[in-house]
Amino acid sequence: MKGTYLGEFEEIVLLAVAILAGDAYGAAITNEIEQQMGRSVNLGAVHASLHRLEEKGLLSSRMGGATAERGGRSKRLFTVTMAGTRALDTIREIRNRMWDNIPKPA
Amino acid sequence: MEPNSAPNPPQWATWLLHLLCADHLMEEMDGDLEELFRQRVKSVGIQKARFRYMIDAFSLLRPFAFKRKKNSYPQPAYHQPAMLKNNFKIAFRNLWKHKTFTFINVMGLSVGMSACFLIALYVHFELSYDSFNKKADRIYRLSTDLKTTSETLNYSISSWAFAPNLKNEFEEVEAFTRVTTRNFLVRNGDLKFKEEKTVFADSSLFNVFDFELIKGDPKTALRDPMSVVFTEKTAKKYFGDSDPMGRTLLLGDDGVPATVTGLMKEAPANSQIKGDLFVSMSSYTERFNKGIDKDWGAFGTTSYLLLKPGINIEKFAANFPPFIEKHAGQMMRENKMAISFVLEPLLDIYLHSKREAEESGSLNNVYIFSVVAIFILLIACINFINLTTARSAERAREVGVRKAVGAARSLLTRQFISESVLLCIIAFAFSVLLSAVSIPFFNDLSGKSISTGILNNWQFVAGLFSAALLIGCIAGIYPAFVLSSFDPVVVLKGRFTTSVKGILLRKGLVTAQFAVSIALIIATIVVYKQVNFMRSRDLGFSKDQMLVIHGDTDKKRNAFQESLLNISGVKSTAASTNVPGSKNNEAYSEIENAQGEMQSGNLAVYSVDFNFLQQYDLKMAAGRGFLKSFGSDSSKALVINEAAAKMLGYQSPQDALGRKYKQWGREGTIIGVVKDFHFKSLQESITPLTFRFLDFWNGNLLSVKIEGSNVKQTLTSIEKEWKAQNPEKPFTYYFMDEYFDRQYRADERFEKLFLHFAVLAIFISCLGLLGLASYSTVQRTKEIGVRKVMGASTGSIVGLLSKDFLKLILLAFIIASPLAWFGMHKWLQNFAYQTDIEWWVFVAAALLSATIAFATISFQSIKAALLNPVKSLRSE
Repeated sequence: MKGTYLGEFEEIVLLAVAILAGDAYGAAITNEIEQQMGRSVNLGAVHASLHRLEEKGLLSSRMGGATAERGGRSKRLFTVTMAGTRALDTIREIRNRMWDNIPKPA
Repeated sequence: MEPNSAPNPPQWATWLLHLLCADHLMEEMDGDLEELFRQRVKSVGIQKARFRYMIDAFSLLRPFAFKRKKNSYPQPAYHQPAMLKNNFKIAFRNLWKHKTFTFINVMGLSVGMSACFLIALYVHFELSYDSFNKKADRIYRLSTDLKTTSETLNYSISSWAFAPNLKNEFEEVEAFTRVTTRNFLVRNGDLKFKEEKTVFADSSLFNVFDFELIKGDPKTALRDPMSVVFTEKTAKKYFGDSDPMGRTLLLGDDGVPATVTGLMKEAPANSQIKGDLFVSMSSYTERFNKGIDKDWGAFGTTSYLLLKPGINIEKFAANFPPFIEKHAGQMMRENKMAISFVLEPLLDIYLHSKREAEESGSLNNVYIFSVVAIFILLIACINFINLTTARSAERAREVGVRKAVGAARSLLTRQFISESVLLCIIAFAFSVLLSAVSIPFFNDLSGKSISTGILNNWQFVAGLFSAALLIGCIAGIYPAFVLSSFDPVVVLKGRFTTSVKGILLRKGLVTAQFAVSIALIIATIVVYKQVNFMRSRDLGFSKDQMLVIHGDTDKKRNAFQESLLNISGVKSTAASTNVPGSKNNEAYSEIENAQGEMQSGNLAVYSVDFNFLQQYDLKMAAGRGFLKSFGSDSSKALVINEAAAKMLGYQSPQDALGRKYKQWGREGTIIGVVKDFHFKSLQESITPLTFRFLDFWNGNLLSVKIEGSNVKQTLTSIEKEWKAQNPEKPFTYYFMDEYFDRQYRADERFEKLFLHFAVLAIFISCLGLLGLASYSTVQRTKEIGVRKVMGASTGSIVGLLSKDFLKLILLAFIIASPLAWFGMHKWLQNFAYQTDIEWWVFVAAALLSATIAFATISFQSIKAALLNPVKSLRSE
């Protein structure tokens, strides 16, 4: 089923949206990822991921919140959907389980 | 930070993004890009920020963002019929609302387009000369260069013997036809006419050229001696509506019976071979001028060769020298001359050949008129642009409202362009009407039947239509962009002012218009001066009240001369072979020069009688004319002109007297030198000329000097006398002054055409000026009102309004006059005797254009100045 698998970068973008909670849009997400990960990210990659995540139903978006800083243009504000939250939870559970299964060094 | 100095992201990257990506994504993408850019300018500096911007923009070019992806918003179709219809409806309403502007615009454009259309017809006519012949690319005229001891003569004619022998000996020649035009007497019962365009032609005429034969067999119609092919018009003249085929008529002075073997359509107007009747060449070579085709030195026919396809001309021409040597070598050595052949492609002859021809076009004129046409159209387009942008203030609010309710710029651009296209289509309709009406006048003006009616030139009409659409688009683009670029907020606030750039542009365009007009005025004045100069210059001989009759020779002429002297009003008569302005015969002559050697060369020759020099009022520079009292004058004497004396190296005319000469079988001495007179047109300089006494077989031109005021009655008496003595011949005559001036007809035509187009150009420019002036006075209505209230006089206001425009005209004059001077100086080089381009020509042109412009402007400015300020200031 589409939407069950998440790529690494998609997961990060989804997390960034969740972190920014309500004020997640292209530029802000890019900044967030850059700060968190300490590496430079292409805006194109972010937009592409956002687009895919929305297609998978993990994100929803609406237009709004124009600021002078962006030349008066509107932002596309993303929020994580229920499905998105569940997907993040699932991933976290799987990761946790897998971490738990690593044999402890003696 | 100043908004202007704010760092900008690389625009091209944005542009590329907009080009490739879907529109509905642009908002967020642009926003994100700009936001990141601004942050990064602060954090990492402009350079890096720009680089990152570029990288980001590129990275956005991904499949999901591309345009082919369906938009989430329904995109309106680019061409919506309803919108288009609406555009035209609005355009039409707008044009209707501003009737004056529309009228000026349509008027200027349609006049300009008509002028262009007519000139295009003319240029096409000139360029397409002879091209109706399907084999035109393989037809060549066989021309001859004849080298004598003193000069090389470039003939367009050849000997009758050349072409047939070339065809016999070289397989490259598919066919040939010789064409000789003569003035022949044609009789059918009582109907008799001198047919000036009697053309003798070989039977292959209809094979080589594409003349249409209605009746008769094209292969045999001109084969047998004494066969005649009539054109429809000529057939009607002699036979009325009855069938001419097989009928007999009498040809030539001796009345040789000939049979009609064909009926052909009139040759096209752009054919260099034109005739009223075509007679088989065999009639000429076997009957009228028997044996002429055996004489390799007898020049007088035009020969055309049709070569087989794919012949290399240079290779083929290499055969000529041995060919000429074989047939004419001995003859050439005996006569001390050398013949060489030149093949001229048929299509190049009319415009490019410098050799003598009955009709020749002028490539220069084609160029000149093409340039004039383009200028006129340019002026019309400039008008259009000017008037539309000048009115932009009026449309500004409309643009503002449209934009505010959501019209995209492209939509507005389209609206304005459709408006200008509509205007051009209206102008096109008018110009077709205008052209249709003016074609007969234009034919008359150019002296050519360039068009038989606009319907026969439908390709040109179609061309004009596409040109109209193109003009509509091109001329409409600038105003459309200016108008659609208005910022709705500014415009709707009412703070709209015309930009300085726009005003400058408009001024520049008006200046350009007037520069063209002034240049055309100067050119017209110079052309007029030159033609007038040629007509009024003292030619050195008397041409007034001189009648020239095509008469007989020898005794019959003498008898006629005698009887003429009894008619009251006839002062004197003189017989000669040539008169000034007629074609010049040339004779191989040997004359003793200043060094005492016999100098040989071909010289123009007039054979005259005792009266000629006196009657034409030629002044002697030295010696005397032919006198009856000297018995030897009629066989031994020669008179030359000053130019001939100078050529022979004599310091003064006196020195030439008594020198020996040999010419056409006569030997003797020079008895007199006449002062130079213009026996050719003033386009050419005076060349050496010799006078000899008549032979018994020549001298059929009879010049009759008439005195008294009743020319008409004298002419009737002369005609009566002629009919009594020559019942079988028509009475053909002309007046000397008209005959001589006929040489300037081409120049007069040029003058007239130029005048008309100059007037057109000025007219269109003035239309534009009128529009602009009326606009600017409307703009300044309040200002004028205030000035009047403060006590300004009407005069000062008119001056104020006119000053701006007159300044432009002064600038135009400064630009135009050197260019015009240069152009006309070049044009005058075509003439041996030129008028001067005097300073007053420029002053006159400047004054004329300034006056016309002032009159145009004052029409508006006086109206504005007289307006009651109460009215102009009241409304708010």
